[in-house]
Amino acid sequence: MIADPLAYAASALSGPLLLVLTAFVCLLLPLFIRQLRGTQGLIALGAVLVAITFFRQAPPAELAFFSEALLLSPLSSYLWAFALGVLALVIALSIARPPAPEENLGEYYFLLFMAGIGLMVLVAAGDLFTAFIALELLSLPVYALAGIRRSKPGLEAAYKYFMLGAFGSGMTVMGIAILSSLYPALTFTALKVGPAQPLALAGFLLVISGFAFKTALVPFHMWVPDAYEGAPTPISAFMAAAVKAGGVIVLWRLFSLFSGGPIREIFWWLAVVTAVSANLMALAQKGLKRLLAYSSVAHAGYIAVAFFGGRQGFEAVLYYLPVYAMATIGAFSVALLLEKEEKGPQIEDLAGLAKTRPWVAGAMAAFMFSLAGVPPLAGFFAKFYAFAGAVNSGYTSLVIIAIIMSAVSIYYYLKVTVVMYMKPSANGHTAEAPGLIEAVIFLMAAGVILAGIFSRPLLEQAAEASRWF
Amino acid sequence: MEFLTNPLSLLILLSAASGLALLAVPPEKDGALKGLALAATLLIFFVSLKLYSGFDPAQTAMQFQLDKAWLPSFGINYLLGIDGISLLMIMLTTLLMPIAVLASFNYIKESRRGYYACLMFLEASMIGVFAALDLFAFYLFWEGMLIPMYFLIGIWGGPRRIYAALKFFIYTMAGSVLMLVAILWVVSAHHAATGAWTFSLPALYGGALTEQAQFWLFAAFALAFAVKVPLFPFHTWLPDAHVEAPTAGSVLLAGVLLKMGIYGYMRLAVPLFPVAALEFAPWLAGLGVFGIIYGSLVAWTQKDMKKMVAYSSVAHLGTVMLGIMAFEQSAVSGAVLQMVNHGLSTGALFLLVGVLYERRHTRMIEDYGGLAKVMPAFSAVFLVVTLSSIGMPGLNGFIGEVLVLFGSFRVYPWLAGAAVSGVILSAVYMLGMYQQVIFGPLRHTENKVLPDLSVREWLYLAPLLIFIVLIGVWPNPFLRRAMPAVNSYISLSRQQTAPAPAVVKIALGGEKTQ
Repeated sequence: MIADPLAYAASALSGPLLLVLTAFVCLLLPLFIRQLRGTQGLIALGAVLVAITFFRQAPPAELAFFSEALLLSPLSSYLWAFALGVLALVIALSIARPPAPEENLGEYYFLLFMAGIGLMVLVAAGDLFTAFIALELLSLPVYALAGIRRSKPGLEAAYKYFMLGAFGSGMTVMGIAILSSLYPALTFTALKVGPAQPLALAGFLLVISGFAFKTALVPFHMWVPDAYEGAPTPISAFMAAAVKAGGVIVLWRLFSLFSGGPIREIFWWLAVVTAVSANLMALAQKGLKRLLAYSSVAHAGYIAVAFFGGRQGFEAVLYYLPVYAMATIGAFSVALLLEKEEKGPQIEDLAGLAKTRPWVAGAMAAFMFSLAGVPPLAGFFAKFYAFAGAVNSGYTSLVIIAIIMSAVSIYYYLKVTVVMYMKPSANGHTAEAPGLIEAVIFLMAAGVILAGIFSRPLLEQAAEASRWF
Repeated sequence: MEFLTNPLSLLILLSAASGLALLAVPPEKDGALKGLALAATLLIFFVSLKLYSGFDPAQTAMQFQLDKAWLPSFGINYLLGIDGISLLMIMLTTLLMPIAVLASFNYIKESRRGYYACLMFLEASMIGVFAALDLFAFYLFWEGMLIPMYFLIGIWGGPRRIYAALKFFIYTMAGSVLMLVAILWVVSAHHAATGAWTFSLPALYGGALTEQAQFWLFAAFALAFAVKVPLFPFHTWLPDAHVEAPTAGSVLLAGVLLKMGIYGYMRLAVPLFPVAALEFAPWLAGLGVFGIIYGSLVAWTQKDMKKMVAYSSVAHLGTVMLGIMAFEQSAVSGAVLQMVNHGLSTGALFLLVGVLYERRHTRMIEDYGGLAKVMPAFSAVFLVVTLSSIGMPGLNGFIGEVLVLFGSFRVYPWLAGAAVSGVILSAVYMLGMYQQVIFGPLRHTENKVLPDLSVREWLYLAPLLIFIVLIGVWPNPFLRRAMPAVNSYISLSRQQTAPAPAVVKIALGGEKTQ
């Protein structure tokens, strides 16, 4: 045990508190001080970087606060570091290409920070009700962010996302209501030992459906392509990397309550249906952001496969999330770089990129190969760990289905590299290149290339974190 | 730094590092790019000579071993080591690489930087495949090879290059994903039996697996390797990839990449699952023999020289497959020698076709004829290579083929008998092509001014010719080095493990085991 849990908690919670403070600063300060208008991005980035710098590795213990509503452990600190990293990258992208008109920038960063805090609370939530509140704190700002440009595709994205998301939230609330009538408490530890009855099963199913919406498992994925396509590209990256991660963590907590029975069977089918249908649907996509959307659904399926590996599988999930986030944020950054209209570039618009921007094309190829799971890139290692656990637990047939679908996915990822490298450029690419976007692209490319072969440090962190759920 | 003092690791790192160095050269400096690529491949070749001289032919254990923990929680190590077979394959790779670089000097005109970098990354992964003794490292190198080869075909290839590159990538990848599941399964079964996580091949040899498990696992491995070899029904990617790839790509594809499939059977599939291997062997040998006849007949009908050579590869690799599936000393050693021979003579054939293509920009047989008059030196070299490919006594092809046929006749008399027809057929199509291209009247006026071999072309053809003759008259040094490895392959294939109690765990619909 550590000497002073409260001191640690105070220092750990200072990060989220700093974010809350900054959110309000971003929202309000530019209203009063004219000179600060347009600089919210820099303030936000500075605050996140400060939060990262003051970030401390959690002691090897689980500390429960607010009557087990918040669990601080190496797991939460691992995921908080992940959330802060994603937030910093999304802010960097937003600074390079402001996604909202200047007078809305304050709201933009305010909402982004609120969503970030929602994610941080969600991954540390110790009971179902806190998880639900955190989920709403994460989701509501993202609905607004998706439509912040108030253009037609943006509003359509926000509308679809909101309608379906609200439906999902409704199911979660219903499920929580059922469960709270059956269990003495809603903490995950209490849910584990509770009675198994049909009504409880219905409650769990409703809750799982709600979180499956956020994780984008088929058949709860309908909002994904439109929302990813219509939202500002940095927000699409945030949805793919962060919102999904939040859903995954809660789904894992729910999944690990059961050691067998119908819930596991349902997860089995969710994983299979997701991996199969998402990859098949992705084959037909023409827009880059839509392609990445379906790819994100497919990866949710692979993560669900990893669940079956038990603790080894959870370790793999914790490694998978940052590796997937790097590749997908990088790919969305390339989309942002080439963006001319709101829905983002078509795949065909990448033609000849290898000639005009060889390094960006190289990085994009690395992201595609990583998402496809081709060695020696990090995506291969992530899939390897994810599937290793499931095979080890005897779910070989599940892994065979997932791996065959991941072979199918190669076709659409390769299509992007074919266009970049083997097709002549139809029209020149935009000459001006915000350096910050390229910096994010190359940082992510370095991560995707190195985090695989040298996966030991990240894997060890993930292993340590996976012991504390 | 053992990573640098161990010659195997040094070879891999040197190749990868020179690939990175090439990327750092400004793209407009052509001379520097070519010079650096050639210097790097030559340096790697000289380093690999150290392997050859330091290799102890009498020893049966793996040599030049390097064992470094990589991902200890999974039992994955950076474990390298070679026996005689891998030694020959690595030497073949390092010999073909400078040749491939030299042959590309004039052919490749666009984005040379990426081209030579791809070649170097390809070399790193090819050496890695032959040197890896850890299943995970093997798979990593095996699949990692796809990316550079995909770009080599897709960017610098012929008119249908996109189709060929996609087909190559998807066929090979789809073939090997099931191998990944099988690898995971083997390691998991080993963990269940012994309680230790390891991906090390020597540790996994002779593991207690039931016959049923071995059957499925062998099938998964065999599929991956059959696509690469390629065996008959899985060969359709090969003609496209060969024809569209640039000359150097075809040389490496035929010379080295196809051998990886055979090598995979010898190093992984058979020794890991000997019981299943014995069951499968007649079928695989049969597919090999079918490939000999089918490949030869199809090659006979080709009008494109490169396509003909590509189909002849299907036939040659069929012979090798027959040899290794006979589990008989002379057949297996002949097959190993034939792997080297095929790399040399088919590589040379692709280079010669490339020589003609660079001059006339056509590979059609009918566009040539009477070249003996204008290109006498070329014609002479072409003759030697053609005869070597046919298996003419005194040249390298003969020894390998005879050993395979003699050896496999004792095991599969009917199959070996049928395989002999391949020898005859290969003479028919190869000599037919030679005659139409080299002899006869000079029908096309464009051909009257074709220059003979240049110094650069001599430079890259000469080493191949030397080895073609050398192995033909004095194969002993090569066979002697391969022999212990051949014997251990045969003894591993005879190792019939006792059935273990565990049955194949297949979970359906959320069923939980253990």
